[in-house]
Amino acid sequence: MSNSYYEFFCPVKVIAGKAALEHIPYELGGLAAKRPMIVTDKGVRAAGLLDPVIAACEESGLEIVSIYDDVPPDSSTTVVRDIAAIYRKEKCDSIIAIGGGSAIDTGKAVNILVSEGGDDVAKYTGAGVLKRPLKPFLVVPTTAGTGSEVTSIAVITDEKKGVKLPFTSSYLLPNAAVIDPRMTLTLPPHITAATAMDAMTHAVESFTCMAKNPLSDAYAAAAIKKVSHSLLQVMDNPKDSDGRLELAQASTMAGIAFSNSMVGLVHSLGHATGAICHLPHGLCMSLYLPYVLEYNLETIRGPLGELLLYLEGPEIYAATPASRRAEASISALRKLRDALYKRCQLPRTLKETGKVTEEQLDAIAEMALDDGSIMFNPKEVTLKDARAVLQRAWA
Amino acid sequence: MLAKRIQPMASQAKRLYVELMFQVMGRALQAVSEVDGEVQKEAQALPEGFLFEMMVMPEGAKLIVEHIGGGRFHYHGDSAPRAVDVSIQFKHLTHAFLVLSFQEKTSIAFAHDRMLVDGDVSYAVRMTRVLNRLESFILPKIIAKRAVKEYPENLHLPEKLISAAQIYLKVATHFIQTARA
Repeated sequence: MSNSYYEFFCPVKVIAGKAALEHIPYELGGLAAKRPMIVTDKGVRAAGLLDPVIAACEESGLEIVSIYDDVPPDSSTTVVRDIAAIYRKEKCDSIIAIGGGSAIDTGKAVNILVSEGGDDVAKYTGAGVLKRPLKPFLVVPTTAGTGSEVTSIAVITDEKKGVKLPFTSSYLLPNAAVIDPRMTLTLPPHITAATAMDAMTHAVESFTCMAKNPLSDAYAAAAIKKVSHSLLQVMDNPKDSDGRLELAQASTMAGIAFSNSMVGLVHSLGHATGAICHLPHGLCMSLYLPYVLEYNLETIRGPLGELLLYLEGPEIYAATPASRRAEASISALRKLRDALYKRCQLPRTLKETGKVTEEQLDAIAEMALDDGSIMFNPKEVTLKDARAVLQRAWA
Repeated sequence: MLAKRIQPMASQAKRLYVELMFQVMGRALQAVSEVDGEVQKEAQALPEGFLFEMMVMPEGAKLIVEHIGGGRFHYHGDSAPRAVDVSIQFKHLTHAFLVLSFQEKTSIAFAHDRMLVDGDVSYAVRMTRVLNRLESFILPKIIAKRAVKEYPENLHLPEKLISAAQIYLKVATHFIQTARA
């Protein structure tokens, strides 16, 4: 008997497609929630993305009791405490988080406080601290990349201590994720590209790293196919709502995949680069992906070769000898990055970002080695190895 | 009938094996931090007084070591002087046995959700590197390859033998001292 073993968990109801937002009142009703609070950021509000949500609720006689629209890009324990205070004052009974990773993580953290009580969310940091279900919680993503709507983790900065606090519990998962193409139609090209490549990286690492399993593989492969097929179409025609929906679904599917199989060195390097050089996460993912795949190549040749089918389609897959498919997959990803560079100058090397110096590479490598995701990289990584990958990604 | 009788004995044997391995590993962690520069370098990044625990859930065997400064560990046995900073917890005795009998690599055990980390993950990653280094030293290469993700290429036989001898000597001495005390 083989030693293979895996766990897979995703209890989030996914509500996706045309007029998905209009399902929010019904979903909240099913959870006995009547006084929802919206947690979002100023960018979402300015882009007019709250309007269809509010209209959808009002048409069903559901009043949005409170709207907090000041979530910062890097949310903090203070923001969480303030939002929880408003929630209690307004006697809300549920949360709708609308936005990208920060708004969604903030919604998760607020839900901890309003469900468990108290003002100090830091008390609940760590894994498995929460022991019971929280208040009704819906998520409406406005970017197609993070997959936060289906992950059981939130990261919030503790301003006093200057550290990022991770919260991990299946109770953080929303009751439903509402994927509506209207919410991503106005995403600017460079954010569309970077977030889609974030989803692509989630899926590729999920498919090639150590905790891969048959169920996460299915989600990852489907996500890769959707991004490969739709990303450039959307870049060329940003108002393509079918393409937008494909990317949004790919992001959710990649989120389901990686939250059940974890990610590897691309994320370790990306987290470190984000922390040291303040580069957006999606950009880092796109940048490092081919270099890390080259580093891991001999340990992931099989699964990486399989991905050629989803990256390039059946004709190219069939025409490529099995022994060359892994390299061809990396080439396909490089080709996609080149196309994105041509369309929106999404950097392909650290030098092209203009925000990283060569002197910072040692610090990035050192920090990457302590990142939790490195445990799941299929190949062992030493400081020298990480430094070599960074050097290749430099220019 | 026979199987029913053997099962508790097998379970007891596993329990004893895991307890013994934790005792050896705890002492060996202290020893390797006294003889290996690489381990000392890794440990130096940990705060002084940092307490690390490995245990079997819910109340099974455990080992606790403390970083006492300068990259050195001190083995505390199975009781911590205060709340531990990072705990790596096997979900079941069988999972601990799989890892400690080298049937499953530590990295695979993490990937298989056999164990979870309570505390700062970055410190847990660092301690895992230390454990891998220790296993590469004290286990024959053929067994070490089953325990670690990748056997270090630069660890050659003379260095391995000398370090392993030093570690085993220190572990044995520590066992004798404990028995005498």
